[in-house]
Amino acid sequence: MSDSGHGQGWLGWLDRRYQITPLIEFLRHKEVPKGPHSMVWYYLGGMTMFFFLVQVVTGVLLLMYYQPGEATAYESIRYLTTKVPFGWLMRSVHCWSAHLMIISLVTHMFSTMMLKAYRPPRELTWVTGYILFALTLGFGFSGYLLPWNKLAFFATSVGTDLVKSVPLIGNWLLQVLRGGPDVTANTLYRFFALHVVILPLAFVSLIGVHLLFVQRQGMAPPLGAKVAPRGMRFFPSFALRDLLLWLVCFMVLLVLAVFVPYGPGIPGMDWELGQKADPLAPAFPGIKPEWYFLWEYQLLKEFPPHLFGLEGPQLCLLVVSLLLGIWAIIPWLDRQAQREQPSPGFSDFGWGAILFLTFLTLKAWDIGAMEPATSGSSLKVISRTCAWWTIGAGAVIIGIRWLLQSSRQSSPPSASR
Amino acid sequence: MRIISSFLCPVLCVSLAAVAADEKPGVIPEKLAGLFAAQGKDGKPTITPEQRTYFDGLNDRLKALLIKTVEAEVITRPEHLGTILALGLRPQKMEILLQDNCILCHTDPEVQKPETLLTLSPAPGKTPSHLNLQDFVDDVHFLRGLSCAGCHGGDPGSDKLEHSFVKEWPSAGRDKDRGWILSFCARCHSDSTFMNRFNPALPTDQLAKYKDSPHGKFLLEARDARAPDCLSCHGVHGIRSAKNPLSKVYRKRVPETCGACHSDAKRMAGLTLSDGSPMPTNQLAEYRASVHGRALLERGDLGAPACNNCHGNHAAMPTGLSSVSQSCSLCHAGNASLFDGSKHKQAFEEHKWPQCAKCHGNHVIAKTHDSMLAAGQESLCNKCHQQYAKDNPECNATATYFYTSLAQMDQVWNEFGVTADRLAMKGLDVDPIHDKLNELADSLKQARSHIHSFSKNDFQRAADPGEKAVLGISRLVEEAKAEYRFRQLGLVTTIALMGLVMLALYVKLRRLER
Repeated sequence: MSDSGHGQGWLGWLDRRYQITPLIEFLRHKEVPKGPHSMVWYYLGGMTMFFFLVQVVTGVLLLMYYQPGEATAYESIRYLTTKVPFGWLMRSVHCWSAHLMIISLVTHMFSTMMLKAYRPPRELTWVTGYILFALTLGFGFSGYLLPWNKLAFFATSVGTDLVKSVPLIGNWLLQVLRGGPDVTANTLYRFFALHVVILPLAFVSLIGVHLLFVQRQGMAPPLGAKVAPRGMRFFPSFALRDLLLWLVCFMVLLVLAVFVPYGPGIPGMDWELGQKADPLAPAFPGIKPEWYFLWEYQLLKEFPPHLFGLEGPQLCLLVVSLLLGIWAIIPWLDRQAQREQPSPGFSDFGWGAILFLTFLTLKAWDIGAMEPATSGSSLKVISRTCAWWTIGAGAVIIGIRWLLQSSRQSSPPSASR
Repeated sequence: MRIISSFLCPVLCVSLAAVAADEKPGVIPEKLAGLFAAQGKDGKPTITPEQRTYFDGLNDRLKALLIKTVEAEVITRPEHLGTILALGLRPQKMEILLQDNCILCHTDPEVQKPETLLTLSPAPGKTPSHLNLQDFVDDVHFLRGLSCAGCHGGDPGSDKLEHSFVKEWPSAGRDKDRGWILSFCARCHSDSTFMNRFNPALPTDQLAKYKDSPHGKFLLEARDARAPDCLSCHGVHGIRSAKNPLSKVYRKRVPETCGACHSDAKRMAGLTLSDGSPMPTNQLAEYRASVHGRALLERGDLGAPACNNCHGNHAAMPTGLSSVSQSCSLCHAGNASLFDGSKHKQAFEEHKWPQCAKCHGNHVIAKTHDSMLAAGQESLCNKCHQQYAKDNPECNATATYFYTSLAQMDQVWNEFGVTADRLAMKGLDVDPIHDKLNELADSLKQARSHIHSFSKNDFQRAADPGEKAVLGISRLVEEAKAEYRFRQLGLVTTIALMGLVMLALYVKLRRLER
């Protein structure tokens, strides 16, 4: 292999020592499937990874100044953003990149779902992606507390309180998560450890496995393509396009970081440092988590205090766990996709999930509630009505599609002609 | 002796009761059990579960006292027992109550008429306030063991009604001429030895001060029935410490208590001030609209003065005092000191003007503003000087100088405040700007205070740090704007460079795919 012609150049030098020819040959022949579908979806994974790399780089730079501790966390971030040259830029890019990474990751996951790219033999690629998504949310949750400001402190108190609803071990789990009964410096230390050591190690390991799977199996071809369609060469065509997209993303990041340094100001997407956390101060009204947790926050509010003999939060947790569980094993549930057939039911499930999450998030935002001229109660009525209409319309669409699909499958072939 | 005995009596009774309570603990005698088991017309127990729980929580001594009261047939009806238990008193108070036959009798609806029944549910507007049982047991005197007999006389331990009570009160005309009330209360409250046993911090000169006040003179000398006595302000039963928010003399309630008489035009008719002018009745309304009234009554700021903080309480406006302006200096010491050192001090004294009140008013003290110094309609300086000091043009120039300086500093403070907020939203470090803004605000406050010196030099000394701060803020704002321009320039340069790299990549890609 080492004699395959890399000659005396630096590739030859490397090949003689590390036998890289098979890798180069693999890259040379690797192709990305082309078809009638849009190629856009194939770039989302790479885009997510780019944002993760930005997170790593800016995170390391922030780490050089950040000092975890009740008396130092807030102060060090304040010092970083006000006194350290370009410290403000690092923090702003880190925060923006975190949000854009989640947007990109969610879009990647839903595109995979809609294109049925999870079908065999890529079930484990879906599962590793699913775990990566969970780890990303963990990054968001643990990183939120680190500035030790007022909003982060109370949002973490409310957020961690939810684990109490886990049957039997809820209270124990809460103690483990917080390092005590309340959110204290102990919570800060363990969230710091999670954010900069445990989660990155797990994430990097898993991303390696995820990429290995993608490289071994290639990118999923369009559904129904029995013969792999003619593809685009991964290197250099796809890779250069990827690089171009990364540069665009980087530009967008910089523009956002400079012009909107503290986020767009939407609840859950705002990282102005504000005041230092004061555990003795009363919690202020209107505490909301980051936007990607808003759906669950709203769902908790929608549940009555007691239902079917269970506490509301417990039942909510059960429903969410059930839905997330179903989401994780979709590759095994979608039998039609396994047979390379369209599975509109699962597409509808995906659309339903998008509707469900969007509706809850929008409702949690209380659109327009910050306008003093409009009364809160009328806004609630509007938002509730919109919500019910969204659910109703979604259910009707899903139902009609389901019926149409069933009738097509049950009708004899002659009838269809 | 009577007073002392009324205090000692409960102690003796407690001892006796302790002996009487030598019964089997936990066993409820038949009579009491019967009261507990009694049912109303609706078939429900008259004694509520909460009342029963309260009884069960009583210590053995109190239970024994209650049992003794029931056995002695002082309490014979479940409704009566329910009233006593419903009070939910602490042990110390319950012990006093259970040994006081006056209260026990006067809480029995079967024995008492409405005009003598102490009740827990007074009819609004009908039941006199002194018959409110809850108020009675919350009275500061009751807590210290001074119950009915302390004022009314009689023996609370006796189960017979002896008409020795109220013998210390005037036998006739005591409602018309209420002067006796003062000396009656003063039996204890002017006795420092006696009062020391209960509250050493409480003064004992109330009567002496009262006698020297217009209130005292009206009541004791002019025999004017409109004048207030002790009860008018402190209440009858239900007298509470002045620190208690329910007290009529609690700071937040003082304006309302004083205003009850002083806002009553009918009551004030014919009364005059020391200068002979009719007694006004708009003080309460003016006070409510003033900075002090809003601070105390709306914001609940207990540091703000009520009527008595300026006028005194028992010695409200004593003889020889024509103005309470001096009391302003108790809080506004800095301004008062500056005024005392100014040339206006002498002028005001010559005209016998009340110092602060001349410009700021008395009850209707409004929030001050810089235009009070300006040359316009709202100018206070001009108004006086046109009338009394026309030939001093430099005074008007000084006022204009004050106004111009203050207005400029105020404008700069407001404008830079807005600028700082805008810069903060752009992610710039505005802490140094805020520090300087605080310096400016401090200086502005000092300069406004130094108006009272009426001296340009004094004023300027206070305003100098502010003017320096303005220069500092201007420099910092310019630096912040420059920093933002640098950021924008850096961004544009970076994007341009990246654009070039992207263009090169694109060209390379096209060549490769050609």
